[in-house]
Amino acid sequence: MSLFIDDNLEQHDDGQVTCRQCDQVLGDAQSQLRDARVTETAPRTAGPSVRESPTLFADRPVILRRSFCPRCLTQLQAEIVPADEPSARHRSLSVKP
Amino acid sequence: MPVIPVAGSEDFANVPTSPTETRRIVGDAVRLHDVDQSVIDNLDPLTYEVVRHRLTSVTEEMGEALKRMSGSVVVTDCNDFDAAIMDEVGDVVQVGLYNTELAASLDMAANWTLRHRATRPGIGPGDMFLCNDPWVGGGLHQNDVSLFAPLFIGGELFAWTGAVAHQVDLGGVSPGSWSVGATDVFWESIPIPPVKIVEAGEIRDDIEDMYLRRSRVPKLVALDLRAKIGANNVAHDRLRALCEKYGAPTVKAVMRRVLNDAESRLRAKLRELPDGSWSSVAHQDSARSGDRGIYKIVCTLTKTDDKLVFDFTGTDPQVDGLINCTYAGLRGGIMPVLLTTVCGDIPWAPGGLYRCVEIISEPGTINNCTFPSGIGKASVASAWATTNVVTECLAGMLDAHPEHRQRLMSVCCGTWDFALLAGVDQRGSGFVTMLCDSMAGGLGARTHSDGVDTGGLACIPMGRVADVEMNEFSFPMLYLWRREEADSGGPGRYRGGVGASSCFIPYDSPLGGVHLVVSAPGKALPLAGGLSGGLPAGTQHDVLLRATTVRADFASGRIPSTLSELGGQTEVLPTHHETDLGASDVYFTHWQGGGGYGDPLLRDPEAVAADVIAHKVTRDAANEVYGVSLTADNRVDEAATEAQRSALRLSRAGLTEGRQEINP
Repeated sequence: MSLFIDDNLEQHDDGQVTCRQCDQVLGDAQSQLRDARVTETAPRTAGPSVRESPTLFADRPVILRRSFCPRCLTQLQAEIVPADEPSARHRSLSVKP
Repeated sequence: MPVIPVAGSEDFANVPTSPTETRRIVGDAVRLHDVDQSVIDNLDPLTYEVVRHRLTSVTEEMGEALKRMSGSVVVTDCNDFDAAIMDEVGDVVQVGLYNTELAASLDMAANWTLRHRATRPGIGPGDMFLCNDPWVGGGLHQNDVSLFAPLFIGGELFAWTGAVAHQVDLGGVSPGSWSVGATDVFWESIPIPPVKIVEAGEIRDDIEDMYLRRSRVPKLVALDLRAKIGANNVAHDRLRALCEKYGAPTVKAVMRRVLNDAESRLRAKLRELPDGSWSSVAHQDSARSGDRGIYKIVCTLTKTDDKLVFDFTGTDPQVDGLINCTYAGLRGGIMPVLLTTVCGDIPWAPGGLYRCVEIISEPGTINNCTFPSGIGKASVASAWATTNVVTECLAGMLDAHPEHRQRLMSVCCGTWDFALLAGVDQRGSGFVTMLCDSMAGGLGARTHSDGVDTGGLACIPMGRVADVEMNEFSFPMLYLWRREEADSGGPGRYRGGVGASSCFIPYDSPLGGVHLVVSAPGKALPLAGGLSGGLPAGTQHDVLLRATTVRADFASGRIPSTLSELGGQTEVLPTHHETDLGASDVYFTHWQGGGGYGDPLLRDPEAVAADVIAHKVTRDAANEVYGVSLTADNRVDEAATEAQRSALRLSRAGLTEGRQEINP
């Protein structure tokens, strides 16, 4: 039996996490996006909703960091954050013994 | 200058104290009402429900009383206030639906007052205490002035009622007490710890003078003080009537059971959810004018069985600026999200809900700062950012349950777009006001629906914007427009609700212009994150145009509808800024929408087309973000859309067509 994580991810009894769009294995309970493809691009690549360059307002570089399923390329996570900060967005569901 | 520790300030660094410990400290100084467990156990269900709903309606009546007596548009039209009923030790039994952030720490203030004022000056019938010290509680920054009143029944302190509202000015360097250059609290309105401003039913003139003397608009603040006195009086009348009808032990038993029910029902819901942990981060750009830093609040939510632990380890240290918040702000960042996303079907009794929550936070961090850090903007800075990070963590938790996930929401709006006007109004009087247009923020997307466009702010369930005409009537300003802005909602399978913009000029002031204070983060990076592959909402965008043609345009009967039509020199404003608006200057402020949910390329193309037709999404974004190609009359071109989505899947992942061979 699998456990729903979100729109794109599910976790199986053995702790394995897969993509709900294509069943690709992406990681495990402790590191759900372990095998995801990660890209880092300029914030403006998020679309016209980013109105100005971050350099107008801040000294630290800012990036759009996205994680994708390596198989079907579904976007699993997206964040616009300082480039020098590793992602702080993590989840971990307990595995029933 | 770095923040220097102040001896004695630890006396005001309040942390919640248990009822047992509170009773021990208070001792015989005040007789605290109590009720036997047998009365609680023997409550009949009908009486329980009748009295419980009566308590809810009393908080609504308190709000109505406040609105009817206040003269501040922030209160009368925007609902930036709240009210609560607490038990004899300050545990909140019922919180009002207005600004739940404000009321989330009333318990701390009432409880502190019990522990520190019971002997001198004493707490008696007809007394009311005023507080705007966020280290004590009662509000999140100094503008949140709370007034809480002990209700005595039969010589015993039976309960507390409290009202809190945003006051438009309480002194400090900048108008509105929003000192954008502040490095510590001494630039700001100096906090007032609990003082007895109403004694035995009479306002104490000496204390009121001390309070009002600091304000640029003392008459308005005095009126709000009386509005809060009225709200507490209304509540006391209703609660006395309730006690006369049902007996004080029965009413108190209902209050106890409400707290217990809230706790037990939240625990039951938590047990339905899988155990796990969810971490996230919320950023803020700029701590004060001239500062170009970016600051983070990190939260790891761990849910084990029926308990929630919010651990803020990893959050940045407090900064020289006005964006820090106290522990009251941290709690104020948690409770509104818990109420709106998890407790929609549970009594809104924070005193019971807090029993299921543990908070781990290091004093000296930006959302648990020590005195005398600057906190003038705490409510919409670090407290709001706490709300954002907690929203993401709780959403992750709910997402793992097939039923409860329907109640989660991405981050709404991301921040408060603060624009403050001050000067001389069209009637020749001094004025200060916070523009509350950004009360119409975009709500976050959900798992099954788009966020509500300009739907409001999740932490202020009954927040609203003043009519344009009300603002123009009250203040020397004239709008060019107030409207929703395309692309401001976070893209996703379900789109975040769009935010909006206001564009106005100073108008009809004898001085010709007005003073403007801007404090609006989210410019270097958006603050309303997306979920499950959804993108964040748009960034905050504030533009000042100097020496425009707007007066000539009006004289010729033309109303400009875009910035490019206005001519003049364009200044893109930083996060914190203070300046004067001249007669020919135009101010444009564009606040954020809600975060998206799910991959935008999975959004129904017909929904994207509908968004374009409704001006929620531009054709550019439809193509570049959603991969939807539209015909000239905005119908979906299915073949071109399929091709565009295939191309986007590769390009956004940094791949080229050659990638196809490993993607069968």
